[in-house]
Amino acid sequence: MKNLHFKEYFKNYLFDLEDFITIYENHLHVFNYQKLNKLSDTEIIIRQKSKVIMIEGTNLKIKQMTKQELLILGSILKVEFKYE
Amino acid sequence: MNNKIVWVKIQAQNYYSVFIKLNDIGITIYDNKKEKDYILIKTAWKDYKRLKKYLVSYEIELYDNSGIFKIKDIIKKYQFFTMGIILGIIILLLSNNIIFKVEIKSANKNIQNLLKEELKEYGLTTLRLKKSHHQVEKIVNKILDNNKDTLEWLEIKYDGLIMIVNVTEKNLPKDLETYDHCNLIAKKDAKILSLNIYRGMALKEINDYVLKGDIILSGDIIHNEEVKNMVCATGEVYGEVWYKVKVEVPLKENYINYTGKNRFNLSLKINDNKYDIFKSRIENKKTEEINLYKLNDFEINLVKEKEFVNAKRELTEDEAYKKGINLAIEKINLTLNDNEKIIYQKVLKNEVNDSTIYLEIFIATKENIGEVSIIKGGNVDGSESSETNNE
Repeated sequence: MKNLHFKEYFKNYLFDLEDFITIYENHLHVFNYQKLNKLSDTEIIIRQKSKVIMIEGTNLKIKQMTKQELLILGSILKVEFKYE
Repeated sequence: MNNKIVWVKIQAQNYYSVFIKLNDIGITIYDNKKEKDYILIKTAWKDYKRLKKYLVSYEIELYDNSGIFKIKDIIKKYQFFTMGIILGIIILLLSNNIIFKVEIKSANKNIQNLLKEELKEYGLTTLRLKKSHHQVEKIVNKILDNNKDTLEWLEIKYDGLIMIVNVTEKNLPKDLETYDHCNLIAKKDAKILSLNIYRGMALKEINDYVLKGDIILSGDIIHNEEVKNMVCATGEVYGEVWYKVKVEVPLKENYINYTGKNRFNLSLKINDNKYDIFKSRIENKKTEEINLYKLNDFEINLVKEKEFVNAKRELTEDEAYKKGINLAIEKINLTLNDNEKIIYQKVLKNEVNDSTIYLEIFIATKENIGEVSIIKGGNVDGSESSETNNE
């Protein structure tokens, strides 16, 4: 069991498989996303592997965007996760 | 080339729909800006190519963020600061190129008014732009041409914001207006070379020898041995005047030898006080200054410091002889004005003693020898007292 856990950890370390988000005061960092489903100045919906993230706020906009990461800027009021 | 980062301008108003599309085609965006009618994105060159390929319905072009565009951006970003600098430069240029005061160096009110009018006609007056040296020269020549009878010489120069006009009037009217009754006498022993009589009666002729104090032009107009009129005798008398000059020239002399080592420095001149900005590393030096900036009594100068050493050399007798003659000529020239000159010179004595050459040189000059002698209390029967006034 322990070995298996270590293997997963090692795999994740090498290939960045884990998806997560980090919330700062006026920023939100999304790592490993699949698709940007909706984008407006008040709402952003992002799909990750196992969940959908719904972000609500004001003056929302994308600051940086790569295939793997998103950096969202604006006043964030609510972040909701919907697991499938 | 593909990894080069570029700014791309996408002509679109809906920021959000564009970003959804960019996300769909997997464009990497390092930064972005939303403007009124377009969106700027910072992306890789290869992504710019993909944008051009896939987003055909949008107008997409490279936004050059260097050169003129970068300057435009900076100006936009720091608009108040930039405007302040531009305004400052304009004020500085204007204040440096505008005439704030015109100073006419003449005591004669008529000449002052005449020049004021003339200068005004050519646009050289207060709160007008300064003219170039070439234009000023042309204006000076035109004014002198227009006033041949009144003006002898004219010079216009700038001193900071002040335009200085130096003027010399024709000499004739000054003397005539100053005194009622005067003679023109010789101020030195001389032989008369030329005689121009403006007023008065000539008692001497060209080639006559005169002693100091002899009357050349008389203020008494005599007709049939009777004084008919009393005037102030005025004229120009040039005569040959003689000098004996003694000169000693040592055969060993000190001179300055430049080493060729030069240093540059900056100096500030405020009023008459001068301050070097950098510490000078040359001990024995001669300096030459080039003015970089001048505003009223404030100056910034570029100073060229030339290093020298004191050296000694021995002159040959021939060199010392020539040097002695030149010294004597220089000495006499210092006493002469523009219209006066040395006619000839001759060495009377030439001796060498104790490593020194002793010369006695005879020099003949052409000089203005006339001097006004005012006659006080003169009357028609000739009884008078006089005093001399140097011209």
